[in-house]
Amino acid sequence: MTVHGWVFFSLMLFALGLYAVLSRRNLIAILIGIELMLNAASINFIAFNRFVADDAAIGRIIVLFIIGLAAAEVAIALSIVLNVYRQRHEIDAEALDELKG
Amino acid sequence: MGYETLSLACVLAPLVGFAVALVGFRTRHNVAAAIATVSGGISVAAAAMLLVQMPHAVVEARWFTIGQTPIEFGILLDGKTIIMGGVVALITFLIQLYSVWYMKTDPGKGRFFAFLAFFEWSMLAFVFASSLLQTFIFWELVGLASFLLIGFWYEKPSAVAAAKKAFLMTRIGDVGLFIGLILLFRATNTLDLTQILGIFAPEGAPASIAPDRVELIALLLFVGVIGKSAQFPLHTWLPDAMEGPTPVSALLHSATMVAAGVFLVARLHPLFLDAPATMNLIVAVATFTALLSSTMAMVARDMKRILAFSSISQLGFMLMGLGAGSLFAGFFHLTTHAFFKALLFMTAGSYIHCAHSNDIVAIGRAGAARKLPVTTFGLLAGGLALAGIPPLAGFFSKEQIIGAMGHYPLFKTGAYVAAFLTAYYTFRMIFLIMRPNVDSAIESEAPHAEEHHAPHETWFLRVPILVLSLLAIGTGFLGGRIGHALGIEHVHEASIGAMAPAIIIALTGVVLAWLDFGRRGARQVGFIASVPAIQKILENRWYIDAVYNATIVRLAVGVARACFTTETRGLDGAADGVAYGTSGAGRIIARSHAGRFQSYVALAGVIVAALTLYIALR
Repeated sequence: MTVHGWVFFSLMLFALGLYAVLSRRNLIAILIGIELMLNAASINFIAFNRFVADDAAIGRIIVLFIIGLAAAEVAIALSIVLNVYRQRHEIDAEALDELKG
Repeated sequence: MGYETLSLACVLAPLVGFAVALVGFRTRHNVAAAIATVSGGISVAAAAMLLVQMPHAVVEARWFTIGQTPIEFGILLDGKTIIMGGVVALITFLIQLYSVWYMKTDPGKGRFFAFLAFFEWSMLAFVFASSLLQTFIFWELVGLASFLLIGFWYEKPSAVAAAKKAFLMTRIGDVGLFIGLILLFRATNTLDLTQILGIFAPEGAPASIAPDRVELIALLLFVGVIGKSAQFPLHTWLPDAMEGPTPVSALLHSATMVAAGVFLVARLHPLFLDAPATMNLIVAVATFTALLSSTMAMVARDMKRILAFSSISQLGFMLMGLGAGSLFAGFFHLTTHAFFKALLFMTAGSYIHCAHSNDIVAIGRAGAARKLPVTTFGLLAGGLALAGIPPLAGFFSKEQIIGAMGHYPLFKTGAYVAAFLTAYYTFRMIFLIMRPNVDSAIESEAPHAEEHHAPHETWFLRVPILVLSLLAIGTGFLGGRIGHALGIEHVHEASIGAMAPAIIIALTGVVLAWLDFGRRGARQVGFIASVPAIQKILENRWYIDAVYNATIVRLAVGVARACFTTETRGLDGAADGVAYGTSGAGRIIARSHAGRFQSYVALAGVIVAALTLYIALR
């Protein structure tokens, strides 16, 4: 597989994730979408690292960072979701309109 | 006491009465009434003592100086001002007494008495003015006082409209007066009345002023007089001024307000004498007005309205006399008319109070004439004086006027016709009130059956009526003294032969009225009714009001409405548009702040995508 294939794959993955974030109403599903987008970014980094500068380790290091960040982000986001659920007994994104101006 | 103290007391007492009554006791009606009446009484006493002393002097104080011209405020004492001041003070005082009865239960009694005192003060200060600026200021204050009193019952829309009409109509004339005063100041460089009268006093026009300029000044001053003294074409405000309480009408029609215009002509008579063309115009306008309003009085049924029309026509008589060059004739009639017109209005108030109607037919049928003997005596005295029946006051003064009009044969005929009509309509009123014919065909409101508390005359009503009756009967014999006070040595005493036409004409009018209204079984409709077209024209007051309403009033209202639209739609609209536009735009934008974070994310995605595309394709 060439770099094009991997970039196309990651693009598709990112698009699917974005679609999930924008269209799903369940907060958990939105979090899953975010994970998909993060993974798409990671794949992009790995692919370019592998095909453009194989001897450098920078891409792999960033991906490790992304995985760490993603874990932290999911932990925080899930705790927020849990709290939302406790307070409102629902996790519908449409219903959360407190930011309304 | 010296004349300074007396004159100051005479002018300032009503001012003090007004201020104290209005500020301190407006809601404590009887106290306010007492204060105002006492101040009126002080004024009368001071005026009476001035009449006895008859000083010729000026009491004045400097107000300010413009350039080289000092402006004084003061009191000018001479025959004219003292007599007029006495008349004003006396009539106001009697009307205040009368008002104690008339306004007994009015909720605005305190305010009413305060305004009466204010009216008296304005008029006295106008009469005694020593400079033309003072004249003008108090001329306007007299107008303001009438406005306040005509619109006294301000909850009545018709009273408010009448007050507004009076104020605006007289204001039209005031513009002329003001321009005239400015031109006079430019021509003479002074506003001091003594100096101005000195300039114009010698026989013939003053050399320092161009004759046509004198004419112009006199003409403009006369425009002011037309407005104030209700002459054609600005006479329409006076009949409507009836909307005020009756004591106000009595005051307004006799010694104050309308008398101010005539008094101004008398005051500046030397100036007018130097303007012969304007004098001719004055005689013409005055004669026309006298005829016009007499015809309107012939068909009116409202007692106060009849008296208002007769005021207009009598003011015309005064101006005829002054315009014909006889200061004495005009001034004399001003004095006598003040007494009998105040008297007639008091009787009208008394009758209207008794019959609960302004309609003379209804008053007659209610039997008011028999229930109120003193009032009826007053009506007879005033009516005979107004009609010009010798030897009452009106006869002598009217005779003087007609005698002065020798140079104007046409207008003299007009004056005779007007005198005839005056006698006719006066006795039409008297006969309809005193000899009601219940069987006649004319309809009227049913008389109110309130026999159980028929108003009886109190002394507050009787005293003013009796005093004025006495004056209406007797003032005619004071002509020589008044003439002497005016500085006229030889008052023209007419022979019986010269008086005969006036007597015959007045008596003819009375006889005709007797045939139409007085005799037993008279139809009481008047000879005018045999020509319905004329009757209709007269009842509609020659359609003058209608024409004004259709043209000037409509034009003014149109302009006002256009201004209003410009203001509300144009100026306000622009300001409102900016405000509404801002808040509307805000509201539209706020709709995008739905609080849905997914749409924010979508927007962010779109923007990032657009930026990416832009960077990639650059």
